[in-house]
Amino acid sequence: MKNLEEVLRGAGNPVDMLRNSQIGAYVYPVVPYEFSNWRDEQLAWQKTAVLYDQSHHMVEQYVEGPDALKLFSGLGGNSFTNFPVDRAKQLAPTNYDGYVIGDGILFHLAPQKLVFVGRAPAASWIEYHARTGGYKVKTEKDDRSPGNTKGKAVVRRNYRFQIQGPNATQVIEKLHGGPVPEIKFFNMGVINVAGRKVRALRHGMAGAPGLEIWGPYEEREEVRAAIIAAGRDFGLKEVGARAYATNTLESGWIPSPLPAVYTGESMKKYREWLPAASYEATGSIGGSFYSKNVEDYYVTPYEMGYGPFIKFDHDFIGRQALEKMAGKPHRRKVTFAWNADDVAKVWRSMLEPGDPYKYIDLPLSNYTSASYDKVTRGGKMVGLSMFAGYSYNERSMLSLGIVDPDIEPGTELKLLWGEEGGGSKKTTVERHRQVEIRVVVSPVPYAKQARTTYAEGWRTQATA
Amino acid sequence: MSANSLEEVIRAAGNPVDLLRHSQTGPNVYPGVPPEFTNWRDEQQAWQKTCVLFNLSFHMADLLVEGRDAVKLLSRLGINTFKDLPLDRAKQFVPCSHDGHVIGDVILFPLAASRFNLVGRIPALSWVQFHAATGGYDVKLELDERSAARKDPFNRKSYRFQIQGPAAMQVMHKVLGKPPPQIKFFHLCSMTIAGKHVGGLRHGMVGQPGFELFGPYAEGEAVREAIVRAGEEFGLRQVGGRAYSSNTLESGWIPSPLPAVYSGEKMKPYREWLGAASYEARASIGGSFVSSKIEDYYFTPWDMGYGSFIDFDHDFIGREALQKMAKGPHRKKVTLALDDADVMRAIGSQLGKGERAKFMEFPSAVYSMHPFDNVVAGGRSVGVSTWIGYSSNEGKMLTLAVLEPDYARPGTPVSFVWGEENGGTAKPTVERHKQVEIKAVVSPVPYVEAVRRSYTEGGWRKQA
Repeated sequence: MKNLEEVLRGAGNPVDMLRNSQIGAYVYPVVPYEFSNWRDEQLAWQKTAVLYDQSHHMVEQYVEGPDALKLFSGLGGNSFTNFPVDRAKQLAPTNYDGYVIGDGILFHLAPQKLVFVGRAPAASWIEYHARTGGYKVKTEKDDRSPGNTKGKAVVRRNYRFQIQGPNATQVIEKLHGGPVPEIKFFNMGVINVAGRKVRALRHGMAGAPGLEIWGPYEEREEVRAAIIAAGRDFGLKEVGARAYATNTLESGWIPSPLPAVYTGESMKKYREWLPAASYEATGSIGGSFYSKNVEDYYVTPYEMGYGPFIKFDHDFIGRQALEKMAGKPHRRKVTFAWNADDVAKVWRSMLEPGDPYKYIDLPLSNYTSASYDKVTRGGKMVGLSMFAGYSYNERSMLSLGIVDPDIEPGTELKLLWGEEGGGSKKTTVERHRQVEIRVVVSPVPYAKQARTTYAEGWRTQATA
Repeated sequence: MSANSLEEVIRAAGNPVDLLRHSQTGPNVYPGVPPEFTNWRDEQQAWQKTCVLFNLSFHMADLLVEGRDAVKLLSRLGINTFKDLPLDRAKQFVPCSHDGHVIGDVILFPLAASRFNLVGRIPALSWVQFHAATGGYDVKLELDERSAARKDPFNRKSYRFQIQGPAAMQVMHKVLGKPPPQIKFFHLCSMTIAGKHVGGLRHGMVGQPGFELFGPYAEGEAVREAIVRAGEEFGLRQVGGRAYSSNTLESGWIPSPLPAVYSGEKMKPYREWLGAASYEARASIGGSFVSSKIEDYYFTPWDMGYGSFIDFDHDFIGREALQKMAKGPHRKKVTLALDDADVMRAIGSQLGKGERAKFMEFPSAVYSMHPFDNVVAGGRSVGVSTWIGYSSNEGKMLTLAVLEPDYARPGTPVSFVWGEENGGTAKPTVERHKQVEIKAVVSPVPYVEAVRRSYTEGGWRKQA
């Protein structure tokens, strides 16, 4: 089999194929699992400062040429009327029916030169259109690092670091050798690092300022050493692969919706272009939500919280469909705060006879590339949980997901944890029982809200 | 002035206990294999229910000892006898300090009459190197360091696999195309797998026969692939880094005696020979057992269950001291089965508002190179626990401990102290936490075999 379309034809139902994928865990590669320990590494991003090494887990998709902006404008709902060089934006392309394919950050690096950085699905979609859409562009892909390097040296085009946390400004000033000229959110500038001029994107997590910096991969250790030295007095910690992916539980971005590419005549050419070894053909779905209709796993940009980006001031794929959706009520992105007793019950089952409940790994509890757990009220499905893990800062299991529009913050719902019938055939799934875990619908981002209303408590407010 | 030797490092630190308990070395990674091939629960269960492939190619060092005085050197250092050493048998080689405390234990493979390969943790091998270099022996040595200690981590001299579990012999039969050699435990043989010449050591875990296989590193992949393919129909699973180090909880070998090299005038030349970046200078001690006397962290061969290896038929370092100790009393190696409810309290504290216990990682909860947790009864310390983790086969948190004889009887109730004093030491793997006491029942070593026997005979639990 050469492409996704053929793989799907061989498999029968895409849902069953993806739910029983043998690919294994979605790995955050190369970066050590822990530099110190994941508890202190999580603590550092709320209390002091952290260095995230993002050099390995994302694809870089370069597009260069006179039609580069035109290409992206045709794929993204975002407005491109004010998108000069040195600006970045979150790009979440959709399929023709308005469902999300993926998302990531689009950097306007130079005139006619852009790079998209993110998970594979959106990058592949961009590459496909760049290569087949008749645009005057050149394209180049720098793929993510392999999950198991098997001893071989890894070379990426760029290193990519983020300095984040309440002390990030001090670390950056120390690194730069003085106050850094103000860079606005999602704008780019330049800072000095170890005698080099390094490009930087102003970024931030849960309200705290931070920078993302990148440069030639060979310079990474030198740059890393400079950041660590600058961070020494400010409690900066390097974040390992185990803690890294959990930062989003506190900041609220959902990294892993299922790419909406498996159905529809209009997407068939794309499926024929996508290789049989692609993310889309090999990735996995897991969790208690099981529908034979793969389209039930698709989400809209509104559900992912990207509604405000969408501007109907230009033509783009999915526009008509989104225009129809725009005025209607949407499912809403929320944080689910898991009930402590119910989580403890899952862990306790490991010490009891019989099949345990599905293991909840810490700090990241996903066991699949795209997680879909059913969330119910009174037995009726009212939402989906899509990314789960533990926050040492919040002392709670949290997950990100979506709920029906009528579900109020503060509502207690039930999340069904584990898979039906003892579990699918995924290699990450041991035989287990399903169990209901009570969850409280909470705002996104969780951390910021919890901080600002700490004294009164948002739960009280929300339910009052 | 920076230190040049272990002796100088200790002098600068004041007390070796403080040096090691506050070591900044960080997590001790099990290298070369992914953390999980499938998931650690199924990987653990496979070694009791079907069959596993352990990849030991990366975490141990090899030392080749060759020459006219090879036997003389090893005999001078080992508590074991070297009289009538047959060429077709390996042995567990245990060198001690002048005071009769264990420096390490490694497997000795005879390759020819005066040619041996020693495989294991580095302390015992360094001790051999020291004597070879300073004792006027006619020997040639060749050290092949473990992956973590080399610039080219995946350029080892040999691969080393183990096939273990109830179906191990069926898999061997399949991959060899004929019945595996019928040889006794720890006997050596040679075989052909995937057209490659493979050395074999009859091994076994929890009462089941198995093999350790070794050969030139470059041929490892072909051999491994052949075994994995042959094992498919027998449910063979490859074991990842997370599950690997927990297998010893079921089989009862203590991986981590502290090398008894930090004290004693007679050991001083060795400390001056050992570098400031040596394993011994960078090792870490973790846990609740605190004594200002480093000697309290040493083990005798009897503590480790190696009393029967001691043979006073030859002159060796530590002989006199061991002769004095011989009549006992000796501490005894045991398994501690931790109380489920107390374990849950410790784990559950991660979700509470109060102080949190030291995080208990699954399946291996070891957070230093040399765990030493206090075991108490009647208000005083009655021994130390050295290794801790969860067995999904037993549904239990288990530790391996060394206890005073009066408390070593199966069924004896003791308490296990989890976590470090005063919120924890400065080791990077230690987050701030509260020490907790966990009830435990003294159980035999190996735990599994004992439990199995107990099902049919009424068992030690009833006897106790």
